[in-house]
Amino acid sequence: MAEAVMGREVARRPPSRWVQLKATLGAWGFMSPAAVLVLVFFFLPVIILFVISLTDLSSSNFSDPLTFVALDNYLRLFRDRFFPKILGNTLFYVALTLSCFNVGMALVLALLTTHISRRVGFFFRLIWLLPRITPSVIYILMWRRIAHQPPFGLINQLLGPFGVEPQYWLFEHPWLFVIMVNGFVGASFGLILFSSAIEAIPKDLITAAKVDGASTWQIIRDITLPQIRWPLLFVTTYQTLSLLTSFEYILLLTEGGPGLYTTEVWALTAYKRALKTYFGHNQWGYGAAWGFVLVIIGIAMSIIYLRVFRFGELVQEPKIDVL
Amino acid sequence: MAATTFETGTPVGVRRLLGRALPYVVLVVSISPIVLGYAWLVIATFSYRTEGLFPIDAEGNIGGWTLRNWEFLTDPAIWRVTLNSFVLAVGMVVGVGFVSSMAAYSLSRMNFSGRKGFLSLTLILHAFPSVTLLIAIFFVLNFLSKIPGIGSGFGYNTVGGVALVMISLDLPLGIWLMKGFFDNLSWDMERAALIDGASRFRVWWEIIIPLIKPGLAALAIFNFLSGWSAFLIPFTFTVGTRVANLPVYMRQLISDTAPTNWNMIAAVGMFQLIPVLIFFVFTQEMLLSVYAGGAKGGT
Amino acid sequence: MKVELENLTKRWGNVVGADSMNLDIQDAEFAAFLGPSGCGKTTTLLMVAGIYKPTEGHIRFDGQVVNQVAPKDRHIGMVFQSYALYPHMSVFQNISYPLKLKKVPKDEMQKRAQRVADMMGIGHLMERKPAQLSGGQQQRVALGRALVKEPQLLLFDEPLSNLDARLRLSMRGEIKRLQMELGITSIYVTHDQVEAMTMADRVAVMKDGKLQTYASPDELYDRPSTLFIGGFVGNPPMNLLKVEVSRENGDFHARREGLDLVVPPDRGEKAAGKGKVILGIRPEDLTLAERGTGGEIYVVEPLGRDDLINVRIGEASVHVLADPALGLRIGQSVRLEFNTRKVQFFDPATEQSLLWA
Repeated sequence: MAEAVMGREVARRPPSRWVQLKATLGAWGFMSPAAVLVLVFFFLPVIILFVISLTDLSSSNFSDPLTFVALDNYLRLFRDRFFPKILGNTLFYVALTLSCFNVGMALVLALLTTHISRRVGFFFRLIWLLPRITPSVIYILMWRRIAHQPPFGLINQLLGPFGVEPQYWLFEHPWLFVIMVNGFVGASFGLILFSSAIEAIPKDLITAAKVDGASTWQIIRDITLPQIRWPLLFVTTYQTLSLLTSFEYILLLTEGGPGLYTTEVWALTAYKRALKTYFGHNQWGYGAAWGFVLVIIGIAMSIIYLRVFRFGELVQEPKIDVL
Repeated sequence: MAATTFETGTPVGVRRLLGRALPYVVLVVSISPIVLGYAWLVIATFSYRTEGLFPIDAEGNIGGWTLRNWEFLTDPAIWRVTLNSFVLAVGMVVGVGFVSSMAAYSLSRMNFSGRKGFLSLTLILHAFPSVTLLIAIFFVLNFLSKIPGIGSGFGYNTVGGVALVMISLDLPLGIWLMKGFFDNLSWDMERAALIDGASRFRVWWEIIIPLIKPGLAALAIFNFLSGWSAFLIPFTFTVGTRVANLPVYMRQLISDTAPTNWNMIAAVGMFQLIPVLIFFVFTQEMLLSVYAGGAKGGT
Repeated sequence: MKVELENLTKRWGNVVGADSMNLDIQDAEFAAFLGPSGCGKTTTLLMVAGIYKPTEGHIRFDGQVVNQVAPKDRHIGMVFQSYALYPHMSVFQNISYPLKLKKVPKDEMQKRAQRVADMMGIGHLMERKPAQLSGGQQQRVALGRALVKEPQLLLFDEPLSNLDARLRLSMRGEIKRLQMELGITSIYVTHDQVEAMTMADRVAVMKDGKLQTYASPDELYDRPSTLFIGGFVGNPPMNLLKVEVSRENGDFHARREGLDLVVPPDRGEKAAGKGKVILGIRPEDLTLAERGTGGEIYVVEPLGRDDLINVRIGEASVHVLADPALGLRIGQSVRLEFNTRKVQFFDPATEQSLLWA
């Protein structure tokens, strides 16, 4: 009887706050290293970038107190003599790399490597992975040598016998190589995703189409492409964003040249203005303004992906309540 | 997909043969720049100089093999930067592996307030292009440099600082990838361990971690390679060879030496490629899955 | 240990896992939770184990509320359907893991693990990894791991459903014998009514998160308190027919098209004058006879020892067990005798029994 009474008293207490708190604290114990790093290297930088973009901070007045210049940097950005050129370059670069390589070439290669025998297809996909895992500096070294001037360049040596005029390819056609260099790295992402999506299409569907007399082209158009529309959309959007913001290969290949802003893109401009100016005069405030525009685009597009691809649905509920 | 083999009409020999051969022709042509690039690298490494793919000796004739390009190995600086590269790569493996598997475990398996929020945040950051933040991170590192104790290890122009930035920027991918592995584990096993008397930390360390070794290995390879090959972040946040890694050192060689000694640089590149190629040859399946895994996470 | 569930409820948002469960399990009793999948039996078990936190209500062990007690402090052992053995640990490590966590000295740990393993008949497999064991052996390791810490309460979550039929039969007996010998209070979750009926002292039948009844196997079988229990317990299941019961000349008649049964007054009385009611009768209480209700054979299913015959009576049909030697054919006309002393009556609206409510 006494026991029962005691039990009841324990029961009347509201669910212990302390236990709840302990559970949350414990979980955040697991989370804290990641949370701190994300805070310091993602959150803080976004704020810092915005604040700096409102100042005229540069290496010449680094030690002075911050001078806020409101939106001057942004106005200056739009009035920049090379603004139309850079914007045009960026759009040209993203559109062409994306359509020719990251999606176009990836799709063609995925169709081809799934068409032939599994092992050979796997081999080609693996070779295509090489540019991605080759350290960027070495990868660019190879390309520079491929497109080098006579008598060193590989292209000249290969195309010479066919009557193609020997030339310094990288200098004469910088865009061709900027797009190829990025495209050869970018294509493997789509290639791997597309080919696993194609391999996941039920064989019955294709057999049925063949029985109905469909040609290869009709099968691709009517069955394969509709079946892989989600990976297609995903790769397109994801790669648009990464192309828009990536500049490592361009920096290594042409540094935006040859000449004035020939292959300079938005992200490279931001980087160069703020961190790697030729004469050591880093315009942090102005560069941050260029960069912050990209950050806003990046945040907006990432949130859109999250919605469109409903990644939230992959989140399952934990099946243990206690800690 | 092999529709050509199903053609019902009278087989047209040449057309059929072309249909069969076409995919291979296209594929071989498509990989030719990659193969050529690698072929030049290997040839250049062992020759005085090259014209196209041909090694050329002092007299301008084809030939002239040499090991001269490998003399850089006697320069102490190369070992310094190699060590830096290695520290960076191992730092990435340990740092991302540890931090992301802890965070992913609690996100996947624990019920706590703030879970949903952090999870969506991870997803957004996963798609977010982190290179856009480099300018601001420069200031974060500069600030860290001023903190006594931390500054000398993890501030601007330190290997630790570069590692810290790289680990942080890789976390969303790592967490997302590991979460995929955790999501597929049996709940009953974890419940059994809790009933057996283990704390959540022990469950994680003694039961769960041993079970996701394949996932950890995939993540480790990915991180080792990205740490070993890293260029942009070390290039941005370091000055001079004391803290440079191999790619940055190579870049300095390319722009400093005039005229550029391409063959020596090729040898440095080859030297740097060794671990990359080892992983490429021995862990092919894993590489293919992990480089696509960034998209959907896990398995 | 005595286990009491009081108003125990588990909800996830709008999804109800368990709904106001009230249940007392006596010390050393073997209780079974029986119900179709998704009925909340495992949810309830996991609340008893401390893995799930109740949304409402209380769990008491020997009178003490244990809602906030961590699983490891509840003195329980649990056996899972998937066995949940740790694949990277040997049999010995699996069994001794609970002792290791309790920091039991090494030699005592060794002794106790060996004793339990010997009791389970797996003493010679101590160095193997779970993947090298058969399903039955894995099950014994899981049982050993649950027993080694000498729990006061054993929880079973469909432990036999991954085993083949013959092994299931022998393990059933072994678990029951072990439980009786050790006298440990046990809760056994299953969707297999044969397991529940043969092993348990009392069976809690659950449906849609609600406890239907908690009674001994005999009671469940002979006096089902709801239509669901009547239909769920027993194999082949009870025949259910809509009838109207009326009193004529002192007799109680249960009637529908093609059927007119005289039922015993003690049962008929409770169903009379209630309009359409549901009459339940088990296949084994129907026999083929010379006289009785006429019908036509619709399907014949040989079960081995018996044939299960589906007989059409008007628009209704009933299952009957018949001797295969009779060689019954589809389309044949037969007559059925009803063992009316065993009929059940249920209210079609409330689905409660009219006899035992």
